[in-house]
Amino acid sequence: MSPAPSFLQQKLPLADLLDLKAFSEVCQSFAELYRVGLKVFDESGNKLVDVKVGNADFCGYIWTKAAGREQCVATVGRVKSEPVDELARPVAFQCFSGCRYVVQPVLHEGDSIGRVVFGPFVPDDLKELPATLTGIAPDFDATQAGAYLQKIRRVPQETAEKILKHFMDLVDVLVFTGHKSVIAARLHIEAVQESYRELEEKNRLLEESYQKLKALDRLKSNFIATMSHELRTPLTSVIGYSEMMLEGLGGTLSDEQREYLGIIMEKGESLLHLITSILDVSKIEAGRVRLVLGDVDVAQLLRDAAATVLPAARKKRVQVTCEPGTLPRLHADREKLRQCLINLASNAVKFTGTGGSVTIGAELLPGEKLALRISDTGIGIAPEHLTRIFDVFYQVDGSTTREYGGSGLGLAVVKSFVEAHGGEVKVTSTPGRGSTFGLLLPIRQRPEPALTPSLPLHPVAPA
Amino acid sequence: MVQINNDARELAIKVVYYGPALSGKTTNLQALYQKFSPEVRGRLMTLDTKDDRTLFFDMMPVFFKTEAGVKVKLRLFTVPGQVIHESTRRIVLQGTDAVIFVADSRRSEAAATLAYWNNMLKNLEANGLDYRTLPLVIQLNKRDLPDARSEEELGDLRKVIRPPMVPAVAVRGEGVAETLWALLSLTYRSLDRTMRLGERWKITEREFLARVFDHVDLKGTRLQGEAPPK
Ligand SMILES: Nc1nc2c(ncn2[C@@H]2O[C@H](COP(=O)(O)OP(=O)(O)O)[C@@H](O)[C@H]2O)c(=O)[nH]1
Ligand SMILES: Nc1ncnc2c1ncn2[C@@H]1O[C@H](COP(=O)(O)OP(=O)(O)O)[C@@H](O)[C@H]1O
Ligand SMILES: [Mg+2]
Repeated sequence: MSPAPSFLQQKLPLADLLDLKAFSEVCQSFAELYRVGLKVFDESGNKLVDVKVGNADFCGYIWTKAAGREQCVATVGRVKSEPVDELARPVAFQCFSGCRYVVQPVLHEGDSIGRVVFGPFVPDDLKELPATLTGIAPDFDATQAGAYLQKIRRVPQETAEKILKHFMDLVDVLVFTGHKSVIAARLHIEAVQESYRELEEKNRLLEESYQKLKALDRLKSNFIATMSHELRTPLTSVIGYSEMMLEGLGGTLSDEQREYLGIIMEKGESLLHLITSILDVSKIEAGRVRLVLGDVDVAQLLRDAAATVLPAARKKRVQVTCEPGTLPRLHADREKLRQCLINLASNAVKFTGTGGSVTIGAELLPGEKLALRISDTGIGIAPEHLTRIFDVFYQVDGSTTREYGGSGLGLAVVKSFVEAHGGEVKVTSTPGRGSTFGLLLPIRQRPEPALTPSLPLHPVAPA
Repeated sequence: MVQINNDARELAIKVVYYGPALSGKTTNLQALYQKFSPEVRGRLMTLDTKDDRTLFFDMMPVFFKTEAGVKVKLRLFTVPGQVIHESTRRIVLQGTDAVIFVADSRRSEAAATLAYWNNMLKNLEANGLDYRTLPLVIQLNKRDLPDARSEEELGDLRKVIRPPMVPAVAVRGEGVAETLWALLSLTYRSLDRTMRLGERWKITEREFLARVFDHVDLKGTRLQGEAPPK
């Protein structure tokens, strides 16, 4: 039911609170300084440190006797794990050999987390070897044992207790600093994990909304594609019937009727053009553009484009020159290329004022490439807009929509179509002097079907 | 969430001092450290790594054993007030059993205090804690400063705020023991309700408080003489 207790509430074993290697060194030098052995156990009785000083020969000799071994093990067991009060004071343990230990628990936050065993030492009140020792074996050599005993430090118990207390103060500080660094480290880890969790959560939410957006975007493209298609069908009828009436199929028309019908047709056609562009864009966005490849006479396409924009150019007295020369035939999608050229040419005318000129030409480049160029002497494009004009619906100046018309789709379509051919669109421009759009196309298409590159993801509304 | 170890007959209770930066949380612990006698408290640990500002808090353990042989451990924590320590704050608050909200009672601090109060409610909730049932005491600290709210204002506040409010001047150690007393009294009652401290663990509220406050220097506090004999 309750969550896992925070590490701040956990009880830590002594070994986790101490740097055992450094601690052993401290114990070693401490024991050597006082010439008394020192052992440290954790609460489960695991030995963490064991420094022997002076008692090796004496205890070794006792160990040669079976009964000595047995009693020694029993004593060590008591010293190590016989319960002592959880109080910061030493407790003495008597060894059958006459030696003695003082033991004190390591207390931390009111808990005993281990103990320090200081000894064996020879209490200064020991006059001769006790019967408990000399009686362990018939062949016990008391003289020998007595000689070995000399190597163990003789010290009053009271002094041993003082030394131990001194040592315990040291342990206390070490445990405290150890605990502090454990907490700092764990807290650091937890804090990092916590931030990680927060980030993950945010990522998840972002990913979710991204997926939603993507789905919406697909929906939009599909919707537009279907709608554009549905709009085109009746519109072609409107245009077709207007045309028939203009041709007199419905009877004679007055001049006024003729003029009105002309306007209906013209507006109908520009509407059809707009819908076609939208349809193209939505196809590109939905990744559904297919190239229909064939041999294309590029020079003818260029002349066609020039002819298409000529009426509009004449109206504003812009001169259109088209000198393609002789060009190799291109393996490409004729309709799409035609549309690209018309888009560029009508932009050129649209953004060039009276008295200006538009030049349409082509050039063979090394590496089996053809460059188709459309230059004008129009208003030009400031450098900061150059990369954006290919975005869907982007127009340099929102207000120019009024002056120049257009949907902001033309260049986006050009770019995708050209890239679908494995080509690229280049533009150079000087504001106030004019622009040049170049289409670089490979002469031979690679046999594999060209994949349509998708449009730049974030269409930008006119500023 | 109080930690219970039935075998070892141990209770570990977590108390958190919460509040805006510089309201006096650390000062509270320092004052308590001075007042407690060493048999019942450990060292005051202050984690204050200058280079890594995410690690920042204080902790002091208080412990005692009851007549019935139950070991009780109180860990007093402060949580960092700075905004950047949000995650430490949440970690420290995790599984807390009782909260002391240390407020700076100066009028100029009212907005910051309210913001932290709301932040605490949010974090308590994030940790699955309900502030309506959680033992909670508000300490109105820095009563010595000229801009502090007047007694009447506090009286008005008391009418609208449910948790007990204890005035304090933590730098002088005033009100610090009183605040903890008020909180531990609430904590005992809450634990007695949820885990039958009296019945199952044979601890009375009187003993619970006495085990702690018998070892606190109550000279000059409003608690003097109030601490029941053991
Ligand atoms: N005048 C006055 N200053 C206090 C009082 N309590 C704490 N301070 C001061 O407020 C500052 C911030 O205290 P501290 O305990 O570090 O705040 P914490 O960020 O909440 O831990 C310190 O300079 C304290 O001396 C008080 O009651 N009165
Ligand atoms: N030849 C050009 N001279 C100046 N600006 C141009 C030219 N061609 C394109 N632009 C700029 O790029 C924008 C995007 O062009 P396009 O995608 O064809 O959309 P539209 O012509 O429908 O506005 C235009 O609105 C215009 O600001
Ligand atoms: Mg502090």
